[in-house]
Amino acid sequence: MSESLAKTPLFDEHVALAGKIVPFAGFEMPVQYKQGALKEYTAVREGAAGIFDITHMGQVRVTGSDALPFLQYVTTNDVSKLALGQVHYSALLNESGTFIDDITTYKISDSEYYLCINASNRHKDVAHLQTQADNFDVRVVDESDDTTLLALQGAAAQAALQPLVDTDLESIGYYKFAQVKVAGTDGIVSRTGYTGEDGFEIYIPNTIAVDVWQKLLANGAFPIGLAARDMLRTEMGYALYGHEISDAVTPVEAKLMWITKLDKGDFIGKAAVEARKREGPRQRLIAVKLTERGIPREHYKVFADGAETGEVTSGMFSPMAGGVALAYVKPEHAESGELSVEIRGKAVPAQRTALPFVRSNVRK
Amino acid sequence: MTIPAKIKYTKDHEWVRIEGDTATFGITDHAQEALGDIVFVELPEIGREVNAGEAYAVVESVKAVSDVYAPLAGEVIEVNEALEGEPEKVNSDAYGAGWIAKIKITGDESVELMTDDEYTTFLEE
Repeated sequence: MSESLAKTPLFDEHVALAGKIVPFAGFEMPVQYKQGALKEYTAVREGAAGIFDITHMGQVRVTGSDALPFLQYVTTNDVSKLALGQVHYSALLNESGTFIDDITTYKISDSEYYLCINASNRHKDVAHLQTQADNFDVRVVDESDDTTLLALQGAAAQAALQPLVDTDLESIGYYKFAQVKVAGTDGIVSRTGYTGEDGFEIYIPNTIAVDVWQKLLANGAFPIGLAARDMLRTEMGYALYGHEISDAVTPVEAKLMWITKLDKGDFIGKAAVEARKREGPRQRLIAVKLTERGIPREHYKVFADGAETGEVTSGMFSPMAGGVALAYVKPEHAESGELSVEIRGKAVPAQRTALPFVRSNVRK
Repeated sequence: MTIPAKIKYTKDHEWVRIEGDTATFGITDHAQEALGDIVFVELPEIGREVNAGEAYAVVESVKAVSDVYAPLAGEVIEVNEALEGEPEKVNSDAYGAGWIAKIKITGDESVELMTDDEYTTFLEE
C-alpha cells in the first residue's frame, strides 16, 4: 500500500477485542470482532446496544454571519428550515448536479453549523467548502483530526449512554441533538444513525475516546465492525457514497430529491438537477429481492426481460429478508419487466420490493 | 483451530478424506475462520466430473465470495444439501457436518496433498 493508513484513538481497543483490521477509507478499521459479523448484526437488531467506531468520518464547523446563506448555497437541503438543535440529511453537489458527498448538517446557532462528512471525501469536501467560502463571511474549519465519533445503536443504546451524560436523553428526539457533557467533557450527542434502530451518534474529543468507549462497553454495549454496519445500513436502503451515490449520478437518479429543495433559492447544482428532472432520470435506483437462493453482490448485472438493464450497487445476505440489493436500472425497468440478477453466469429471478428491506425501529 | 489427522490438506485450505474409491471434500478450520460467517454455499451438481484443482463449489461469507477447489479428480456422487439451509455448519464443524461434497475417485489425478503435520507447518510458514 503506497499510502500510509491512519489509526483512530480506539485502534488499540479494537485489537484488544480481537478486531480483524482492514484498510477502509484511509484508516485501519475493524471489519468485525471476535464473535463475527452475524452475531454483531443480531445484537443490534435484537435489542442490545452496538457501539461503532466511526471516527474515520469527518467533521467541519462552519461559523460566521453568512453561515446560513453559505450553507444554503453549497448544500441541497433547506437549511433555513433547521431549528436550533436539529440535524438534517443533505448533500454537496457539483455544478453538474452530481454528488460531491452526502452529509448531515447540525444547527448549533444562527451563525454556527456542524457538518458530518464521509471519510473518503473529506479532503475533497473541505477544499470545495473553503473555495466556496471565499465569497461569504464564514470560517470553515476541519475538526476531523481532533474528533472521535461513536455510533451507539440498538434498543438498549439510550440506557447504555444515559449514565455518561448530564442531559436527559429522552429530551433528544429523532434527528435532534444536544451539546452535552460526555464523561465530564463537552461533546455533541444526536439521535441519529445508519442502522434503522434507535440510537445516537456521539462526537467527543480524541482525548476521552478510550474512556468513553470503555464505559459504554461496561454498560453492556457490544463492539460492532464495518461488516455488520454495512449489513444494517443496506437493509434500510440507506445510500452509501461510492455505491448508490457518486459524481456520476444526481439526486434525481438516487431518489434523493427529498433532500434537494429546488424551491429554496439558488444552490450549486440546482440548474443541472432541474434540467435532469425535466429530461427524466438516466437510470433509476430500485430495491430488489431474489426469489431464489443466492446473494446479489455489488456490480452484479441486472437483467429485465432477459436484457441487461443495470447493476447492483449494494447487495447482501439479509438474515431476515434473504438476498437483497439496491440496483440502478434503466428508467423503463424501474417499475415493469421480469427482473433477474446474474450470479456466476446464472440468472437468478428477483422482484422489486419496497424499502426498507426489514422493519425500521428508529424513534420518529 | 483444529487439524485432524487421517485426512489430507491442500495449500488452498481444502481437506479430503479418502475411503476406498470415494473421497469427501470440505474446507479447513483455518479457511472457515479466515472467511468468517458463511452465509451461502453453492453446491455442485450430482454427476458433475471435476478435475483436481478445479473450482467445484462456492462459499460466501458476509463480505466475500470464494471458490472451493477439488483436491482430487472424480465424479460428484453426493452433496451436503443441509448446507443450503444451514451454511453455518461450515463454521461450526468444518471437518464433520460442514463437509461439502463426496466424489467417486476417477484416475489418480490430485493436487499436492499434505498430512496434518505438513499442513500445520504450512500454516505456520
